[in-house]
Amino acid sequence: MNLNIKKIFRNEAPKSNHNEFDLSRFKNVESFLNEIGGLSRFTGNFFRELFRPPYEHKELLKQTYSIGLSTLPLIGITAFIMGLVLTLQSRPVMAEFGAESWLPGMVSVSIVREIGPVITALICAGKIGSGIGAELGSMRVTEQIDAMEVSGTNPMKYLVVTRVIATTFMIPILVFYSDAISFFGSYIAVNMHGFISFPLFINQAFDSLHYYDLIPATIKTFFFGFAIGIISCYKGYFSENGTEGVGKAANSAVVISSLVIFIIDLIAVQLSEVFHVFSI
Amino acid sequence: MFSRFKMLEQKENIISNSMINNHKIVIQIEHLKKSFNGNNVLKDINLTVREGENLVILGKSGIGKSVLIKCIVGLIYPDAGSLKVFGKEVAEMNPRELNVLRTRVGFIFQGNALYDSMTVRENLEFPLRRNKTITDPYVIEELIVDTLENVGLVDAIDKMPSELSGGMKKRIGVARTLILKPEIILYDEPTTGLDPLTSREISNLILKIQNKYNASSIIISHDLNCSKITSDRMMILHEGIIRTEGTFDELKSSDDEWVRSYFKID
Repeated sequence: MNLNIKKIFRNEAPKSNHNEFDLSRFKNVESFLNEIGGLSRFTGNFFRELFRPPYEHKELLKQTYSIGLSTLPLIGITAFIMGLVLTLQSRPVMAEFGAESWLPGMVSVSIVREIGPVITALICAGKIGSGIGAELGSMRVTEQIDAMEVSGTNPMKYLVVTRVIATTFMIPILVFYSDAISFFGSYIAVNMHGFISFPLFINQAFDSLHYYDLIPATIKTFFFGFAIGIISCYKGYFSENGTEGVGKAANSAVVISSLVIFIIDLIAVQLSEVFHVFSI
Repeated sequence: MFSRFKMLEQKENIISNSMINNHKIVIQIEHLKKSFNGNNVLKDINLTVREGENLVILGKSGIGKSVLIKCIVGLIYPDAGSLKVFGKEVAEMNPRELNVLRTRVGFIFQGNALYDSMTVRENLEFPLRRNKTITDPYVIEELIVDTLENVGLVDAIDKMPSELSGGMKKRIGVARTLILKPEIILYDEPTTGLDPLTSREISNLILKIQNKYNASSIIISHDLNCSKITSDRMMILHEGIIRTEGTFDELKSSDDEWVRSYFKID
């Protein structure tokens, strides 16, 4: 490494193997930029097709139904455990400060503002994102997308627009469902070490919530849903190299969607902090 | 006696070819070029297909035969040259014109490309509902049954593609294309992966379709039996150009050893 730096200062070319290494790094940057460009163009095409008739109502309903319904059990179980564990883990610390009665409020704020949306979105990225990536990927490699195109159907409209709309609107609904189940899990956990009636628990939980907890958290879930849909469709739609490509498409759909969920969350937290300050 | 039959057959071929030569040109390709990542797949393709003609294109794997027919329906755009279908340049068509063209040109994929998540009925219904103005479910049902009867698979109407054999899938692929009554049909290796008996059935089906609908066809094939049964004219694609063309018998008895090598069976 040091040797190479010295050579660069002396205007000498580094050894060939190091040179190749540098080149491959540039190739990675190039492919990353290509990917960003491709995804941006794909998103542009999505918005162009979104408002252009004919509208695929039937397929949209089918996708909305299957995306929502297929994820309900998984979200339900995870959300219940999430609420239960969060409460059980927080209780000893709260008890140390004699603030056990604040437990429902603390848990509700955590769930509604952060844990509910992010965990639900991550589960959906895994379940829905991989499903879309693999489905469109296999349709691409078995030429079904081409067949659709030659039979006079716009695959972008039929396959992509419907799925992206479905994820954009179903993820927020799934997050509400997840929050409700988490509250129930938390209620059970609180009652493991004492007694609190359900109406009182709900009352305490909602007392701690404000509109600036709920609104930014809800808005960001639409972006989570959109990101999952568009990234998964993009990876699947342009998958290549046969079955290996389908696996890669499904895998990268999940990885990139998860990463983007965290990036959106980071931006959403910063923005909601700014708006909170202004609102005060 | 045998030579007399052969002469009669050749005479028949000449008559049918001259009749086809009077028909109008439906596909005209001139100096078509296409490359992928610097690899020149199609270097200079020139060909014409006339109304009601079956043209078979032979060539080694990976030589660009499928690329050529994908250019015809606008799935791939050529880098240079002219490609006219029904007298209109494909590369200059807007999406609406391209959709109209695609209802007139059917494409049968090598792997059939049946929609996995749909039944046979839905597979046939899909292009029909999108391209024809028919909304009456009885008329649609009648068309589906009629088309399936043409390929001999009415019983498979409610089956999923995964429940069908290779030959059946191929037939359903043909039926899905036929339902729009295309004027040109492009077959991408229609008999690949099928046993000799099923291959013969598919070849006869191609011929039956040509006779019934008077559709022009381009058939990409490695199968000599299929080529013999279906072709009015054949071409051999080699190193990005059409190296030679003629009828099956002409090419088989060509003076060129390289051309004859395509017809050798070990």
